[in-house]
Amino acid sequence: MKDAAPAEEQQKPAVEPIKPPAVLRSNVRLITNAVAEKETRTLFGRVLRQTAAVRRQLTAQELQAFLASALPPASAAAQQLQEAVKQVGHGAADLDMCPARAAPPPANALPEVEMYAHLLTLMFLLDHKQYELAQQVAGAAVDRLSTFNRRTLDVIAARICSYLSLAHERAGSLPAIRSRLLALHRTAVLRHDDVGAETLLNLLLRNYLADSLYDQAERLRAKAQRPETSRSMQQACRYLHYLGRIRAVQLEYSEAKDCLQQAVRKAPTSAVGFRVAVAKWLVLVRLLLGEVPDRTEFTAPDTAAPLAPYFDLTQAVRGGDLSAFSAVAAAHEAVFRADRTHNLVVRLRHNVIRAGLRRISLAYFRISLADVAAKLGLASVTDTESIVAKAIRDGGIEGVIDHEAGTLEAARPADIYATDEPQAAFHARIAFCMDVHNEAVKAMRYGAGGGAVKEFEDATALREKMEEELQAALEEDEDF
Amino acid sequence: MADLGPATAGFAQLQAAFSKGDLAACKQLLSRLKLELTKLPALPPVYEPSPNAQQQLTLARQVLELAVFLSIKQGDEVAFERNFAQLRVYYGDARPLLPPSDQEATLTALNLLRLLVQNRIAEFHTELEVVPPAVQAAGEVAQVVELEQWLMEGAYNKVLDARARAASDYYKHFLDQLSSTVREEVASCSERAYNSLSVADAAAMMMLGSEAEVVEFAAEHGWEVSNGRITFKPAADKDAAAAAAALPSLDIINHCLNYAREVERIV
Repeated sequence: MKDAAPAEEQQKPAVEPIKPPAVLRSNVRLITNAVAEKETRTLFGRVLRQTAAVRRQLTAQELQAFLASALPPASAAAQQLQEAVKQVGHGAADLDMCPARAAPPPANALPEVEMYAHLLTLMFLLDHKQYELAQQVAGAAVDRLSTFNRRTLDVIAARICSYLSLAHERAGSLPAIRSRLLALHRTAVLRHDDVGAETLLNLLLRNYLADSLYDQAERLRAKAQRPETSRSMQQACRYLHYLGRIRAVQLEYSEAKDCLQQAVRKAPTSAVGFRVAVAKWLVLVRLLLGEVPDRTEFTAPDTAAPLAPYFDLTQAVRGGDLSAFSAVAAAHEAVFRADRTHNLVVRLRHNVIRAGLRRISLAYFRISLADVAAKLGLASVTDTESIVAKAIRDGGIEGVIDHEAGTLEAARPADIYATDEPQAAFHARIAFCMDVHNEAVKAMRYGAGGGAVKEFEDATALREKMEEELQAALEEDEDF
Repeated sequence: MADLGPATAGFAQLQAAFSKGDLAACKQLLSRLKLELTKLPALPPVYEPSPNAQQQLTLARQVLELAVFLSIKQGDEVAFERNFAQLRVYYGDARPLLPPSDQEATLTALNLLRLLVQNRIAEFHTELEVVPPAVQAAGEVAQVVELEQWLMEGAYNKVLDARARAASDYYKHFLDQLSSTVREEVASCSERAYNSLSVADAAAMMMLGSEAEVVEFAAEHGWEVSNGRITFKPAADKDAAAAAAALPSLDIINHCLNYAREVERIV
């Protein structure tokens, strides 16, 4: 998740202030090694994390120097990227001043390194809000990618695709790349590129949902192949989020709730934007299910402000007061429309009435329907009568209507502990715990040869090696 | 540039036949016209650029809009669904290429109503998400959305009223179907909510014309009618009988076995 970047950024400079050029060079070396060893998944993860850490500090000059040192100067890619960066870096293009000029540019670059250069440029352009340029670069990168068929490229390719989509989303031209993404997804599935297929499926879902095309999104989701276990936690979270939204629109609230809850739980704590987006949908889905979310869910300091309209809404629904509900819905209509939750909010009216009726039926032994109408804020008594009748039929409240007298006689509230209710609640909790455990087991990864311990040692060794490399890169840097 | 001549002529014929109410002729003309439309290259999914692309698209949209109305007149819901699916592209992907259609709100509302009547609520909501806010605010669509809310919360008398207030014949076709569904709903609600009800009140509530109809209706549902009152079987009896019969032993056994298996897996 992009939001994870700032946290690392804060950490890194505190420990050792690393200059971006050094990191970039060590990354290139890492990529080269990874490709030689044909083990790109974990190493590329590291490369991308390190890149994210220095992303904000990167200047146009540094990027140009990097491009000059990493790519053969005559290649089409190098020229295009240089050109793109030059348009952003205002007159900073004096290449001879750059220290990297001292190192001779390589005769030809690995495709992975070339794509990494593309990726860096894309990040740079997006950070500087050059969406048009970013679209061009991303388009060119994807075209170039399609000429390769190397599994070692998968991770970077997936990342480039997501930046392609991001560039179009920011520019508001998402529908234009739909067929392209579909083609890319097909290719990724055919090549067993799990990371790419997963990323592209999410991008497509996002693309469809941006235009509220829930039907198409669901059809694609139902038909598309997904790997059994997710390759990346971020993509899994996004997928759950999209699936939850689709289910919520289709009135499958319990499934929607499961998906959204898992998405929140799996999302990294630093991904505040994502968590807020999911929380909004989760609140509505839970309200539609007749649950009332805890007050604490709205008071977490970083999510309190954006969730405020939903907090008001929850209070109105809980109170069962139709007029208060309408007032809240009208006051925050713009917010709900922007969040695309407006239609769900409209559906809540029914729940408000139910909640109000339940309160009344518990509080009164006998009450006239006219009073019920007044309390709920309903317009006519005839409506109220049939609404109450339906509530009784659906089991929302217990009671009997006396039509001649125009009154509702509430039945004595049944002893809930004498029913299956506690057992069901207990079962739901146990099932939830089992689910968490099973998910946790599924999420564990084992090395090819041995168990977890070996993996652990590998990781330590790897980190030591990494640090050595970084050190070497730094020393090299000091030589200039 | 594609020749619009035959298609335009065909459309004029179709319109003439439609306004005369000659449904059989309409059907023939329409299928010929649809074949004609396939020759126009600017239509989806090709969208071939051409100087008169807009005319081609507009014509195709008009033809399909008429086709949808026609299918309602014929009472053919399958054809309605098919025609509307063809038309949807013009309200979605092709929207930027065309001037807005004044039939869009009506047709969207009719389509939503159809889903509602067929009790395809999930699709109703999915469809509603795609409707742009401007169209959603239009009176006709808003009415259908209200109708759905009334159905959900149980304000059935309003739903039955809606038929009387229906703006056009097209709505009446669907609302008639809705009425009988709603009547059944009212019946099942009354069964649970009242101990007894006078025949006259029941007639008003279920919108039945005469007391004789009520008696017949009551007989269908197994209610007792005596002295001008309908007596429903006490719901409590049914519940009590059901509760006594079903101690959920099978469920409990299933759960326990499940727990045992899961715990074994953990240990």
